[in-house]
Amino acid sequence: MPDWRALASERLGPLKLTSEESQEVVAELAAHLEDFYEEQVGRGVSESEAERITLDEVVQWHNQWHNLARNIQRAKHKEETMNARTKHLWLPGLVSLTAAMVLLMILIQISQQPRLLGRSPLELVLLPWLVLLPLCGGAGAYLSRRGGADRRVRLLAGLFPTIVLFSLGTILVLTRLVVFARPHWWYGSLAVGLGIVLPSAALLLGALPFLGTTKPKAVA
Amino acid sequence: MHKRIRSKIARGSAELAILALLAEQPLYGFDISKRIEEKTGGALHFTLASLYPMLYDLEKRGWIAGRWEANHAGRDRRYYCLTSTGKKELVPLRREWNFFFQALDRLAGVTNA
Repeated sequence: MPDWRALASERLGPLKLTSEESQEVVAELAAHLEDFYEEQVGRGVSESEAERITLDEVVQWHNQWHNLARNIQRAKHKEETMNARTKHLWLPGLVSLTAAMVLLMILIQISQQPRLLGRSPLELVLLPWLVLLPLCGGAGAYLSRRGGADRRVRLLAGLFPTIVLFSLGTILVLTRLVVFARPHWWYGSLAVGLGIVLPSAALLLGALPFLGTTKPKAVA
Repeated sequence: MHKRIRSKIARGSAELAILALLAEQPLYGFDISKRIEEKTGGALHFTLASLYPMLYDLEKRGWIAGRWEANHAGRDRRYYCLTSTGKKELVPLRREWNFFFQALDRLAGVTNA
């Protein structure tokens, strides 16, 4: 008689469950296969034939094993699965965006103090913002990694503030709510450079330490 | 034997079938699938792939609870029983399906078909 437990374990592949839960699932599915086999034998089918019928069933389910593993994980950890995107992207992205915008507002407030009037906004706002932005990118990527996201999503979470700014800017330009002064290409490039490219580079700098190859934490 | 019903209604009724069966006595996975197939004349049929995710889902909701016990042959099997929450949930579920089939009967005369 085949080792049903080994067969079920092999077909399911690694499950994102605790080792105790995985063992329990494998044992239960193996028991089901064993019962199926015993049922065939009970019907008067020879042992070798019963084994063949059961293995045929397993092969017929070939495409279903992957779905079965996924559905079992989903059923056992329904809430976590439903909130995965929130944990991986939206929450870390919003933290990164909020931090970046709050810092920008504070810097703008500081630059408007009477004793600082007349000094360049580049010096008072943009440069300090760019220096602080890696912290925001790092926070986004770190939280995303902690939530178990893969590298691509961690990068998106880190760059979330400039993704939002770029989207918003594009909408404003396309709807002509913002019109660049002439020559358009020069001021447009300047806006993209100062508002998107440089902040993106700063955010990326902060996110880099969290984009390594560390395996995402399993949903346990 | 009735032709197997492969519809969303059949899938939706699967929960009710499992809960109703477990209301009678604790059963393990293979036994559940076998009894449902027998009792419905094959109209409802569970495969391993459809049964266990549903059992784990019901367990996660706290409607059923599983524990390992030896079966009549002395082999360890995971027996599921209905919890008090499951018993409470079964009452409105039965009522809803009853209402649904009565409505369908009034509309299409399904019981006399």
